[in-house]
Amino acid sequence: MSMLRNIWKDKLAAISLSILAIVLTAGIFAPLFAPHDPNEVNMKLRYAASSWEYLLGNDHLGRCILSRLIYGIRPSVLWVLAALAGSVMLGTVVGFLAGFFRGKVDAVLMRVCDVMLSFPGYVMTLAIVGIMGVGLENILAAFILTKWAWFARVIRTSVLQYAESEYVRFAKAAGAGSFHIIRRHIIPVTASDVAVVSSSSFGSMILQISGFSFLGLGVQAPTAEWGMMLNEARAVMFSRPELMLAPGLTIIIVVSAINFLSDALQAALDPKLRTSTSKAAEQTSAAPAKQLLGKEVA
Amino acid sequence: MKSSKMTNFLSICTLSAVLVAGCSSGSTETGTTTDTGANSGSKETKQEIIYASSKDILDMNPHLYSGSMPAQGMVYESLVENTADGIKPLLAESWDISEDGKVYTFHLREGVTFHDGLPFNAEAVKKNMDAVQNNKEKHSWIKLSTKIVSVNVKDEYTVELVLSDTYYPALVELSMTRPYVFISPNDFKNGETKDGVNGYSGTGPYKLVEHKVDQYATFEANESYWGGAPKVKRIISKVLPQGETTFLALQKGEVNMVFTDDRGADSLDVEAMNTLVESGDYQLVRSEPMNTKMIVANSSRAGNPVQETAVREAIWYAIDRETISEQIFEGTEAPANTLFSSNVNYANVDLKERGYDVEQAVKLLEEAGWSLENGSAVRTKGGKPLAMNLYYDVNSSSQKVQAEFIQHSLKEIGMELELTGEESTSIANRRSTGDYDLLFNQTWGLAYDPQSTISAFTSPSSYLHTTSGIAKADELYKKIEDVMVSTDEETRKSLYADILTIVHDEAVFIPLTNGSVTMVAPKQLQGISFKQTQFELPFERMHFE
Amino acid sequence: MGRYILRRLLISIPLLVVISFLTFILINLSPHDPAELVLQAQEVPVITEELLSQTREELGLDQPFIVQYIEWAASCLQLDFGDSYVTGQPVWSILGPAFLNTLKLTLVSVAVIILLSIALGVICALQEGKLVDKSVRGFSFFLTSMPSYWLAALMIWYFSVKLDLLPTSGMNSLASYVLPVIVIAISYAGIYFRFVRSAIISNLNEDYVLYGRACGLPEKKITGKILKNSLQVAVSVFCMAVPIILGSTVVVENVFAWPGLGSLSIKSILSRDFPMIQAYVLVLAVAFVLFNTLSDIINAVINPKLRKDL
Repeated sequence: MSMLRNIWKDKLAAISLSILAIVLTAGIFAPLFAPHDPNEVNMKLRYAASSWEYLLGNDHLGRCILSRLIYGIRPSVLWVLAALAGSVMLGTVVGFLAGFFRGKVDAVLMRVCDVMLSFPGYVMTLAIVGIMGVGLENILAAFILTKWAWFARVIRTSVLQYAESEYVRFAKAAGAGSFHIIRRHIIPVTASDVAVVSSSSFGSMILQISGFSFLGLGVQAPTAEWGMMLNEARAVMFSRPELMLAPGLTIIIVVSAINFLSDALQAALDPKLRTSTSKAAEQTSAAPAKQLLGKEVA
Repeated sequence: MKSSKMTNFLSICTLSAVLVAGCSSGSTETGTTTDTGANSGSKETKQEIIYASSKDILDMNPHLYSGSMPAQGMVYESLVENTADGIKPLLAESWDISEDGKVYTFHLREGVTFHDGLPFNAEAVKKNMDAVQNNKEKHSWIKLSTKIVSVNVKDEYTVELVLSDTYYPALVELSMTRPYVFISPNDFKNGETKDGVNGYSGTGPYKLVEHKVDQYATFEANESYWGGAPKVKRIISKVLPQGETTFLALQKGEVNMVFTDDRGADSLDVEAMNTLVESGDYQLVRSEPMNTKMIVANSSRAGNPVQETAVREAIWYAIDRETISEQIFEGTEAPANTLFSSNVNYANVDLKERGYDVEQAVKLLEEAGWSLENGSAVRTKGGKPLAMNLYYDVNSSSQKVQAEFIQHSLKEIGMELELTGEESTSIANRRSTGDYDLLFNQTWGLAYDPQSTISAFTSPSSYLHTTSGIAKADELYKKIEDVMVSTDEETRKSLYADILTIVHDEAVFIPLTNGSVTMVAPKQLQGISFKQTQFELPFERMHFE
Repeated sequence: MGRYILRRLLISIPLLVVISFLTFILINLSPHDPAELVLQAQEVPVITEELLSQTREELGLDQPFIVQYIEWAASCLQLDFGDSYVTGQPVWSILGPAFLNTLKLTLVSVAVIILLSIALGVICALQEGKLVDKSVRGFSFFLTSMPSYWLAALMIWYFSVKLDLLPTSGMNSLASYVLPVIVIAISYAGIYFRFVRSAIISNLNEDYVLYGRACGLPEKKITGKILKNSLQVAVSVFCMAVPIILGSTVVVENVFAWPGLGSLSIKSILSRDFPMIQAYVLVLAVAFVLFNTLSDIINAVINPKLRKDL
């Protein structure tokens, strides 16, 4: 909780947090916030400029852009968040198992991670979409598949580090069971590392999913999604550039907010370490390059 | 971080201000294009056409089907040509048809050579025809391929084509862009063309000189062309997959022409074309309505709602063609209510009118047992949802918009449509293998309509899957078989009327609009005309002023 | 040293085998029957059971799985990835040139990224906490938050249309490189410069700096030493940047109509050209492993401590 208070003191982080809170709320309660049905086609309003009824104007099918932006939060942010949670969960379990039990378990799990990490994220996603077909669910599945190994590695390192700490040794000596130690002593202290690592890839995942939709590989019509909206705006990009504006700026604002927040989170966790590289990863001396694996930009 | 918040904020504010200003002033860009257009002027004096194409020209082998047709049309020629005034000589100067209509004797044009210098003669004709016939199954859409018995060399410039039956569209099918066109036998691989060729020497007005896959292909004028050297000396086909990139490239003069591609897709929307014309550097040329753009329904799709006539009819009724024509095409394409417009030969038939009528659509679905369970948005019958998949060409912005519009219209009547955008090659592949519910397509153009399009109803590689699921399929195929060999004009008329009535009643071809070939070309380009087909352009007749 | 390199290389071999195996089974994970796909690709109109079993035999699909894999892997080693479903040409004849084009774009971009991130990283580290540092970092956050296609559109509009300085798309001259490289560099330099910066800062806090200063070494010499030490760490990071960017130029290539792997992969997916997709995945994964190995080796050469790790 002191972490949150620290973040709150940083005005920029506070603003970022508020933006995200608003976006998430608007996404969850989209029907309450959106002024219109996002899929209501009205060809008479094709490319209409903004008006009081349609604040951000209408798209190529005369649909309300504002409503589409709001409904777009669901696939663009909420589903990405869910995929992120999924891969963090998977990565955490694997990372804990490897870090805590060491030995063979560790060796096997880490080799599996090596294999997963040797497919660049984009390539893996394209491969899955190529074989399973285009669609949001396939991209989300690809995200979980490609990201978990990276989380597992980072979490393993931090578990290793905490598992060696005095109080865990003491707990072991006192005869506490493995799961008890994990639950009582290791989960709480590694949680902050997990938060840092996952928040830093949240932003790039949002960019990636919108990128895939922009390319026509993600969300399919008529679902409202930011990348898809940009894809639709693209066709008239130079005759009606204003259509690129709303979804583009929305993505930038949300992703910036996430990035600033992630940075603040790191600073709050360790004031000495005001960098974007995660603390846990920095201590893997073996190959500093690998910590950047998760950093693919859309 | 703390003391930095102000600077961070400032930088964000300035940047977004720049971006917003940058974007919003973009709408005034048409004003600035006049000076950029001036650059294209210098290119035009070089007498070259650089046209944008969403795809690579791909395999230029004229006896297979993956290559770009406008490109193949420049390089290869057929024996005869299909014009508005009927069949005219091309590589054959004249021909005789035997009494029974089974033997065609062609007298070839003398002095024609392939681009590699090899003379074009009866021997070359025979080799080419045989190469095509040796790969028969690929050509089943063109009925002539099933009728050719032999090709015989009579003398150096006389060749004889023997058919198994009388087949009245024989000359029309010989005039097509492919497969009955001629490539130098030196380019054959093991005496065949079906496994690829070693070069692309045709007899046409242009020869392929350079091809960089997925970048560009350069064609140069064939100075020794039998019809006289073309005036436009160089034509470059440049790959620009995206519409907005094409638009920019046109504005900047990086390309100077764009036209409806061989799959009927326009990469520019009407508005973009108008903007270019307003800039003063371009002219917009539109052919006569040439074909019917439509949605093809797979009547043989087992276990899918699309098998039911009532469902297909409901789709037909639920589409508001007026809105598509006015809003999406801005009036440039007229709504189509029948597979062939009435000016097409034999197509002036009295067919049941199916206008935009949502109530009728709903009524049809209700009668067919597709009902809306309380609360659900999609109709069901026996627990199965009324859902189908519609495939569209990702490179065509108008198809995507239409698809979305139709998706919405069908939702209103409780039908769910899933949209899938794919490359045109993949869609063509789906059509020929029957792996689709609904897909966008178009009739084949004046030269092919109605006879070739209709004979393609029976061809597995074209519309067999579309037509084979209907109740009267056998009757339909029998009539098609009959009409192709019939020699009596009146019989033909009545057979065509029957055929058109059957497919109309079954609603397997759901018409949308009448499409034409649209071309944006440099203002100085003269002599722009169109052929009787949407698949090629007569570049050799064009010249710069 | 030689032993380390050899061992490191040997370690990557099983990885390559596993990767190729995964790529191989990828196509079998597809909901479609491979024999049916081949027949569809050949536009065989009516697919019968007979034809299917005949094709399965031809393709060797009736053989045990492992035999199929070995045969496939052996032909891949000779760059024979089969024929494209769309054009019928050998996959490598299309993939090879595209790979080269993407590699060119990647190398130029990486060079720019290295220059940019070292320059910015050094400046920011030396000015740590000051205005320059904070504004550069804040701004870089902002830039990396931009969808690259959006940035690309903006660039095209401004530099190509408004100023008419650069070509809008394609790969025709050196000028064609400018915009795509800028877009890629902006997206990545923001990440990499932070790395350089933190490496320098952590070196600044090392004992040797304090010690050097205490001994009265000239400040220039100390700075030089710091730079050397921190850039050593950065080298391997930059080495990995090559395969990462190689695999993620998809969006940029698409917007700029760059005839590379990215455009090819999208086109192959949208035309269901499975052999092409398979080869694309394999080639990039192999490149990834190789660069990873290379990066470890370089790392070990400049930082001998790490060799023990293996």
